Amino acid sequence: MSSTTTAIPAPAKPEIAADRKPGYYVRFNLFALALIVMTVMFAAYRMYQQVYAWSFGLDATSPEFDRYWMTLVKIQIPVLFGAGFVCWAYLWLTRDRNLAALKPKEELRRYFTFTLWLVAYTFAIYFIGSFFAEGDGVWHQTVMRDTPFTPSHIVLFYACIPTYIFFSVGGFIYAITRLPAFSRGISVAHALAVLGPVLILPNLGFNEWGHAFWLTEEIFSHPLHWGFVVLGWNALALPGVALQIIQRMVPLFHEVFGDKQAAQTA
Amino acid sequence: MSPNTREILEVSGLPPEGAKLSRIWEWFVVAAVALLFMGAIHLHVMLTVGDWDMFVDWKDRQFWVLVVPVSMLMIPAALQAVFWHYFRLPIGMTLGAVLLLVATWITRIFGWHIWGYFPFTMGVPSTILAGAMACDAILLIVRSSLLTSTFGGFVFALLFFPSNWPSLAAYFLPVEHQGMVASVADMIGYVYPRSGTPEYIRLIERGTLRTYEGSTVWVSTFFAGIVCIFMHMIWWRIGLAFSTQKFVATSRRFRRFMGLADAVQPASKA
Repeated sequence: MSSTTTAIPAPAKPEIAADRKPGYYVRFNLFALALIVMTVMFAAYRMYQQVYAWSFGLDATSPEFDRYWMTLVKIQIPVLFGAGFVCWAYLWLTRDRNLAALKPKEELRRYFTFTLWLVAYTFAIYFIGSFFAEGDGVWHQTVMRDTPFTPSHIVLFYACIPTYIFFSVGGFIYAITRLPAFSRGISVAHALAVLGPVLILPNLGFNEWGHAFWLTEEIFSHPLHWGFVVLGWNALALPGVALQIIQRMVPLFHEVFGDKQAAQTA
Repeated sequence: MSPNTREILEVSGLPPEGAKLSRIWEWFVVAAVALLFMGAIHLHVMLTVGDWDMFVDWKDRQFWVLVVPVSMLMIPAALQAVFWHYFRLPIGMTLGAVLLLVATWITRIFGWHIWGYFPFTMGVPSTILAGAMACDAILLIVRSSLLTSTFGGFVFALLFFPSNWPSLAAYFLPVEHQGMVASVADMIGYVYPRSGTPEYIRLIERGTLRTYEGSTVWVSTFFAGIVCIFMHMIWWRIGLAFSTQKFVATSRRFRRFMGLADAVQPASKA
């Protein structure tokens, strides 16, 4: 008895439209670039500290200190703040002036981009609030300070903080210039989440003044440092921003993707 | 597609590609929450009670047991409020405790050990994991912020010393040093001096501390308990206050400054 086989063609999978794929809404490229740049930068700073802090970072009056550490200050401050101003100016100059006519798909895409701004911001916050902040304790509790520009401060205050200001202010400008809800009203939570950490930079004045005037030993829990603590609490406002995003994204998802019937016929 | 995923799709009313995109957004939020609170909690703890946490010879019977749990409770309590109030997830305190411990160990290794050349034994961090889990469990059972503060806050502090005991007991053993009794932790402090930091143990181990019926730790623990009750109440509300979803309406003038079409055009055309 012979048998024959007949190839049954597999049912063709319905083609998913480009605007229903994640890649349409989530622009990974710039986000990945930002994370890679920050990772390389923070790793490089940590290695620089490892190599040059003990050898040339102990005496602020030595020519080696000037060469290896103050040169770094003179380069990084204009570069980091300069990059910030360029980015913020770009975001402002290319703002959307007709937000009332924004289509739901584009708005959803912008919410994803805004979320990526916030994730990049939190990535910087981790390195400033935890990694390099306790590194500051390592250095100052071990070595007597003779300048505000110590090997740990140069990295923590004058490189890492400008980096998170770049992302916090950038994300804020992005939101008010591209998202209707954030342009109709200023988000209190977002303003707190940006302002508090940004004000840590001017609070350095109090920190350095106190260390210079009282010559305290480095006790990390000293009240002199509590300005940083209170301003750091403002990071607690970011969940409020996330909730604001959710409130708008839920209806947007339904508008863009519709119900299941619509998906099958798309 | 798993039954669980199918159920979620049913509830959300979204097609699979919409649900997938929504899930991607959630992963971004998970990453942001982890990074944010590793930074925020660690910064808060290190600048309020960091010295007690950084060094094994600062883990004394009077202040370490009191100030560290009080400080370490604050932001996790706020996190607990946000997770419970908005998402009915009783995980906030535990999440905060885990993130703090991870962040702390990273800097103990890359900072204190690799950069400062201190031994790991010197920088054993305190943990609040047991107390945080108990507090979350109490929240799950009582489902009330007031009762969680009252019982959870107190239990949180009560569990601090016993849960840290296994990792620190060895350092509290007595040794003889130049004819005097010291602990192993003291010895580590003598061998690895920190020239920018005062010698804490010699400053506080005085008065009746050594002779207070040997129960100083529990006096401090109960004191921490009462403070933690009120700290939990306060920080629960701070957490909710900070996560406000309020928008302050921008003025027409501001919108004109932004060049928005609906503000620049005459009202009839807008």
